[in-house]
Parts: sequence; C-alpha cells; structure tokens
Amino acid sequence: MSITMTHNAKSAAEDRTQPLANFKLAAGVTLAVLALMVFWRIFQQVYAWSAGLDSTEPAFDVAWMTLLKVELSVIPLLWVVTWAYLWFTRDRNLGALKPREELRRYFNLVLFIFIYALCVWFATSFFAEQDASWHQVVVRDTSFTPSHIVLFYGTMPLYVLFGVGSFLYAMTRLPKFATQISIPFVLAVVGPFLILPNLGYNEWGHAFFLMEEVFSYPLHWGFVVMGWSVLALGGLLIQIAMHMLEVIGRLSQEDEVSVATQR
Amino acid sequence: MQGGTSVRLYGLEWPKESARISRVLDLLVAAILFLAVSGAFHLHYMLTAGDWDMWIDWKDRQWWVTLSPIMAITFPAALQYVFWTKFRLPIAATFAVVCLLFGQWINRYFGFHLWSYFPMSEVIPALLIPGALVLDVALLLTGNFLFTAMSGAFAFALLFYPTNWFWLAPYRLPVEVMGQLVSVGDYISYAFTRTALPEYIRLIERGTLRTFGGHSAIIASFFSAFVSILMYLAWWHIGMLLARVVTTPNTLKNFMGLTDKDEPAEAAQKAIDGTSLQGRFVAAE
Repeated sequence: MSITMTHNAKSAAEDRTQPLANFKLAAGVTLAVLALMVFWRIFQQVYAWSAGLDSTEPAFDVAWMTLLKVELSVIPLLWVVTWAYLWFTRDRNLGALKPREELRRYFNLVLFIFIYALCVWFATSFFAEQDASWHQVVVRDTSFTPSHIVLFYGTMPLYVLFGVGSFLYAMTRLPKFATQISIPFVLAVVGPFLILPNLGYNEWGHAFFLMEEVFSYPLHWGFVVMGWSVLALGGLLIQIAMHMLEVIGRLSQEDEVSVATQR
Repeated sequence: MQGGTSVRLYGLEWPKESARISRVLDLLVAAILFLAVSGAFHLHYMLTAGDWDMWIDWKDRQWWVTLSPIMAITFPAALQYVFWTKFRLPIAATFAVVCLLFGQWINRYFGFHLWSYFPMSEVIPALLIPGALVLDVALLLTGNFLFTAMSGAFAFALLFYPTNWFWLAPYRLPVEVMGQLVSVGDYISYAFTRTALPEYIRLIERGTLRTFGGHSAIIASFFSAFVSILMYLAWWHIGMLLARVVTTPNTLKNFMGLTDKDEPAEAAQKAIDGTSLQGRFVAAE
C-alpha cells in the first residue's frame, strides 16, 4: 500500500514537470497558418492585376482557377484527416482521467480555439474588407474573383477546420464536454460555418439583381448575423474557466493527499 | 496544490502553480478575445455601415452621422455586459472599438491602399475611441446598464461627429471642378474611380437637406443618439444571451463508448453552479 502511494506521489511529481499544454504544436500550427495567410496575400498582390482582371483570359484560368482547385481539394482533405484523427483517437475511458491531464487538455483546447480565432480574424476582417476594395477596381464578371478565391474558398474553409476540430477535441477528450453539449460552443462554431452556405445567396443576388457592391445592402446581412455568433465564444470561455477551476480544486485535493502520503 | 511559496495575484494569495496557470490562461483568453472581437465586430460594421466608413465622400452630414454610432454601439454594449458583470472590468467599449479600428487600419493599408491603389486619404476610417471611453466611464460611474444607456450611449453618438470633425475638415473645403462646386472629399473619390459604386454625391445630395441649412449634422446626431440608446439596451441583452453557459445532454455519448461512470461527479457539477468566478478562485485555493 505504502509502495503504491509512494509511486503515486512520485508520478504526481513527475507529472508536474510536464508542460502545461502542447505549446510547441500550437506554435507550429500558428506559424503555418500565418505563413499560409502571407502566401495568399502575396499571391493576390502578384497575380490579381496581371492575371485576375478578366475571368475569360487563359491566364486567369492558369493562376486563379488552379489556386481554387488546390484549395477545394486540399482543405476538405485536411477536414477529413484532422476530424477523423480526433474521433478515432478519442479517450474511451474518460472516467479515469486524472485532474492534471484534464487541466492539460483544457489548455490544449484553449490553444485550439486561439488558432480558430486567428483564422476567423483573417477571414472576417483582413480578407473580407479587402474584398470591398477589389470590387471597386474590377467589374465583377465571375463568382470566383481573386478576392473571393482566397476569402470564401481559402480562409473560411480553413477556420471551419479549426472550429469543428476544437469542438471535436473537447467532445472526445474532456468529460464535461463529452457528456453535455455546450450550446455556446455550438454557436461559436456553427455560426461562422453558416457564412459559407450564405455565400450561395450572396452570389445568387449579385448574379441576378445587384451588380453594385454596396457593402451595407441587405443582400449581405446574412453574413452579419452569422458573424454575431462569434460572441458566443464569451460564453464558451466562461464555461471553460469554470471547468478549469473545478479541476484545479480536485488537483489541490489530490496533491494534499500525495503530500500526506509522503510524510 | 504543491509549489512551496505563494504569490499575490489579483489581490489574492495563490499557490505558485495556480498563479502560473491563471496567468497563462489570461494571456490566451486576451489574445482570443482580441482576434474574435476584431473579426466579428469588423464584419458586422463593414456590412452595415462600412461604405460610409470606407470612403471619404460617403462621410456626409446625414447618413454617416446617423448610421455609424447606431451600428458601432452594438459590440461595445454586448461586451460591456460580459466584462462588467462577470469581471468588473470597465474597459469593454474601448476594447471593442480598438479591436475594430485595428482591423480597419490594417485593411485600409494592406487592402485598399497597397492592393487596390486607393490613396489613404480616400479610405481613412472614422474615429470612435472618445465615445467609447465615455461609454465605459458612464458604466463605471453608474454601475447600471439603464443609466449607461441613457447617458453613455447618448454621449457615444453625440460625440461621433465632433470627434471626427477635426481630421475631416480639410476634406470639406470647396473646390471647383469642371464648373461644378464640390468638396475636396467628393473630388478625391471622383478622381479615383470605383467600378461598382457611384459617387456618393449623386446618391445623397437631392436637395431636401438644404432646408436644414448647416445644422443637419446636429439633427442627425441627436436622432442617432436616441436610436443608440435602444440599440445599447438590445445589445446588452444579446451579450447576456450569448454569454450564458447552457448545455444539453450528449445523445451520442453511448455511441462514443462512454458510460454513466464517465459522468462528472454530481458534487463537482453542483460546485460550478451559482458561484461567482472570483469566489471559485478562492474556493480553489
């Protein structure tokens, strides 16, 4: 008995030396996302004026439609691989999860959400308003403009990858998110995702009755309502903080037991 | 929790490790909030009042003055609910507006100027920070959302035009172009053609405003202030709605291979209900 307890105390001490979360992986993914955003922006700078002014030109097909095809094949592939990995490697014994590991997973979840927020920022702020400027340079002759190919078919599917990924991570690795579905989490992931279906309405409207690109026209208001759902991240972060506090409480109790055992 | 010495953080004694966890979490949450608010607020603003904010000739004395504060008070109000009621932080409006301006300035430079070659003088965003500061101060002093709506939201809208007047004044100077009298702002946007937008002057200057002489901006500001009060109240409650922690049972639980023994302890579940965050930090000690 005492041997077991000493062993537990030792493993608890070793556990404490482990990093709080997988910061290296998060930093690597963040850098990869930033590199991809820089690549997209440079691609626009180089090819928008030289090959993106007329969608019937062969050069447009070579530069822009190639980029579109790559995006539409690679990003959905990333969806399948990442989500399948998260699902098939799920923790099937959450009842035995130690508080320290649970805390570590909460930090990993917060890092996951950080990368999601980074992608959402590039999509809904950086590349979205830039779209307004490009529409004032070239008359729209296709749905696949140099700004749309990056905004709607690049950055938005990318944030869907991390949004749904973070939701699956929580659902498959954290007991409270596994047993109870968090509505703020659902809103924060599904709302921005629904911007993509709303794109269909946008393109339909611009093709049939509205060639002007006044950004505040009602045709665009669907995007606005979906964007509001990002605010639900507030509810989610409060929920995560509450859960973490509860885990820290259990961790304190566990450590007290381990100290008592060592004595 | 072990850790030897304790540290003092947020006015409380913390074990060293708890303090480290708290600091790391704070930094991550601050970064997430900045990115998420900047993205969502910018999307909201650009698609409701963006045209007025993007172009110098759209910054008129009627619609720009009316619409901008009404659309800009939304996220500050929602965030004030969360920041103030959950954390007693009176900085939400300023935080939201700084997030918005960050996204706008990055974009106007990298998108409008460097990519689409519009001059920066044509695409400067409006200033909103002074109004946001007043809104935060109103909440700090009154501690009440209704009084903040009546005083702070009112001031937020009324301050909008004077805040922007000093940098906008040069663009309001008259200039004669091909026999027509226009403002410098109008002329800049005439010279740098927009392919999907007419010059705003063709949309707006229809004559009826002339009857109000020089005070149409003041009338627009007061009307905007009235609507901003209502918007503030509505968005405070939207913030309340979206910050609620609501859950529903996972019906896929069994399919995922989980059993009832995987349920979090009932006592632990109860512990997270009905206690303030700060109270629980203390409890965790």
